Amino acid sequence: MEIRNFNLLIVGVGGQGVISAIQILTKAALLDNYKVRTAETHGMAQRGGSVATFLRFGNKIEGPLIARGNCQIILALEASEAVRYFNYAGSETFFFINNKIIIPPTVHSMDMEYPNIEMIQKFLHQVSTHIFFVNGHEEALKVGNLRTLNILMLGALLGSEKLPITQEAIERSMMLIIPNKYQKINEIALKKGIEKGKLIISEIK
Amino acid sequence: MSLPEFAVNAPGMRVILLGNEAIARGILEAGVIIGAGYPGTPSSEILTTLAEMQNYYPNLKVEWSINEKVAFEVAYGGSMSNARSVASMKHVGVNVASDAFMTAAYAGARGGMVLISADDPSCYSSQNEQDNRYFGLHALVPVFEPSNPQEAKDLMKYAFDFSEEFQTLVLFRTTTRLNHGRGDVLLGEIKKIDREYGFDWDRSRWVCLPSHSRVLRFRLLERLGEISEFANEFPYNSLKISDERVNGKRYGFVAAGIPYAQLIDALNFFNIEDKVSILKLGMVFPPPKRLIKELFNSVDKVLVVEELEPFIENILKQIAYEEGLAKEIEIHGKDFLPQNGEFPAELYLETLAALMDLEYDGVSVPHDLLIIPPRLPILCPGCSHRSSFYAIKQIEKKMKTKFVNSSDIGCYTLAVYKPLEGLDIEICMGASIGLANGISKIQSKENPVLAILGDSTFFHSGIPALINAVHNQNEILVMILDNRATCMTGFQDNPGTGIKITKEIGTRVIIEDLVQGCGVAKDNIWIVDSNNLPKMIQKLEEAVKAKGVRVFISRHNCSLLEMNEFRLKQIKPPTVKIDPEKCKGCLICVDKFGCPSIIFNEEKKKAHIEQESCRGCKVCIDVCIHDAIYEEEEE
Repeated sequence: MEIRNFNLLIVGVGGQGVISAIQILTKAALLDNYKVRTAETHGMAQRGGSVATFLRFGNKIEGPLIARGNCQIILALEASEAVRYFNYAGSETFFFINNKIIIPPTVHSMDMEYPNIEMIQKFLHQVSTHIFFVNGHEEALKVGNLRTLNILMLGALLGSEKLPITQEAIERSMMLIIPNKYQKINEIALKKGIEKGKLIISEIK
Repeated sequence: MSLPEFAVNAPGMRVILLGNEAIARGILEAGVIIGAGYPGTPSSEILTTLAEMQNYYPNLKVEWSINEKVAFEVAYGGSMSNARSVASMKHVGVNVASDAFMTAAYAGARGGMVLISADDPSCYSSQNEQDNRYFGLHALVPVFEPSNPQEAKDLMKYAFDFSEEFQTLVLFRTTTRLNHGRGDVLLGEIKKIDREYGFDWDRSRWVCLPSHSRVLRFRLLERLGEISEFANEFPYNSLKISDERVNGKRYGFVAAGIPYAQLIDALNFFNIEDKVSILKLGMVFPPPKRLIKELFNSVDKVLVVEELEPFIENILKQIAYEEGLAKEIEIHGKDFLPQNGEFPAELYLETLAALMDLEYDGVSVPHDLLIIPPRLPILCPGCSHRSSFYAIKQIEKKMKTKFVNSSDIGCYTLAVYKPLEGLDIEICMGASIGLANGISKIQSKENPVLAILGDSTFFHSGIPALINAVHNQNEILVMILDNRATCMTGFQDNPGTGIKITKEIGTRVIIEDLVQGCGVAKDNIWIVDSNNLPKMIQKLEEAVKAKGVRVFISRHNCSLLEMNEFRLKQIKPPTVKIDPEKCKGCLICVDKFGCPSIIFNEEKKKAHIEQESCRGCKVCIDVCIHDAIYEEEEE
């Protein structure tokens, strides 16, 4: 496919699998013959901190960073993180958000309030009209392992048909990157995610 | 096991590599023999990738050295022996290595010699954001800087040819976004170097005493002159001249590294890449004077796009002055761009718009902002450091005192945040003990000094400071938090684990023996399991009250490593629960201890333990004063 540049941001909490998700997408983008760049959070920020990773692909890209307002898609593995990075979105940005909030343990000792899902929803609707929530946490548990959340959310993205990367490329990339013994369960998670994504998009059509 | 993509000998194959993997690939392709380094974000994966490569290319000899100075020396010893060699470290590591580096620059390289400095604008994982391009200027060593993973690989491979051709060291500078960004890379050929290895017996070169160094210094300056001349033909420098104008003016840009890549994106955003002149530098020092002059003669305004210090900008201004062009050409840099922090992508758009009078609306922000409290990195559930710092707090309370906690670099630095707030000082590797030496000379009885550092940090540079305390009788208590790995940077092994970077068995160095060897009296050394809180408190009190130089070793494996071990051995970690009947909602476990697995239910006013994340360290059982926390017996 001829694409000048496609900008995707994946956010979440350290340990949720943001890096593996971006790794799988990066390889898939290569398999689909794109030029690719990412910028990732490693090191200190992985200790339960907020994680934001950029993925850019297309024929006209050089750098790994995305300018605020210029993301086509924001994928949030945790709902409040979508708000933290909202200014990477413009009015046309598609948000795919796992509707689970993980409250940082420091909030209590800092005596601060953490927003709830309604507040997050209300806020993001001011940013863009394309806000989609997925009950990823629940579904991943149903699949059998919370660690499949990242793949399930990738599936939702794929099912929505908003991501110009082919399903074949993602499946092949998963086979190359995910260790053998977790292949099966992640395949199931991807399928589940795709169903979810299709459903979400059919509802707005 | 199949060969990882970064190790395959398949020239022309296109793969995805992390910047650090691409750097390691460049090292492999160059036929390097020796790789040494000390872990430090964002550099660590370079050496671990090389170590993996060693499985398939046994000519490679890779090691984690005890600190960056030794790492540099290991590599330089290789260069002296005609082997291509590389030393890898984060920017602040170069400070440690600089003693050797500054003089090695005089003697120069025999086998190709590259020092990698991974800089960290915005201090993502660092105590400062120093700009190590200045080390090149300082040592008169050329500085290379790649702008994407492909170039990182190619430029690294080329650096060894260059180093040998000019007999110079090369400083290879990167920034976090290069190290920790992936990109598509076309693999090249892995060189087979056929040459005689061995020391060359040239005392006039390798013995840097005054009479030799004066001569070597002369050669160093000569070498820099030759490299400066070659800079104009350097294959990774390029000048693209455009005669077009944007809003009536001819613009020129000078950039290197990630800012070059982001600049191109920003120019493309405005569709003006073809309408401006661009000098792209792959070697940021010494500068290509002829290319710079050509740029000056082709444009009205120049913007230097560089993060941190005005390194290139100052060089350009100097050249403009020397060439008598100071009045003709407008040179911009830090008047448009900040001197601190990484440049976010939108900053390039805003800057181009301001410089060239382009239309750019920026980003609109909703009226009612929703504030999300910070999600700070924290000590993991079950982390033994939490227990250590909690024990210190208890002693302080009991003895009605407040220690000056002189701490160090490592995961435990995270104990600075609420609720532990267990650090008062953190400067650099090993400084905890050095500073404690000084503080002990003027400290009051109410505020005794406590030096706190990790196992790897102690090996790295704590040892000399401990000997200093013993020799000078500086009365300090040192607490070594020994969790048996270098965790913050990715669980690298160190002398305390005795495992080598290749996972082969090495020789283990026993910390307590080492401490005794430093001259600390046997009675003044305590070793306690960090997770045994009552014993920690009891023994730590003893140590605080004792006289002389004392060392308290708080020892427990990193909980992440422990979990991995459990998984491997199929051991189920203990199940710890809170009895809601007994929980009084006093919040000690939440607001004082702060384990992220303990959650407080505001409605019920009771705490509970999240079983998914709890690692069963059981320390909270001793923290609870109402006996509400218990270990569930296996059925």
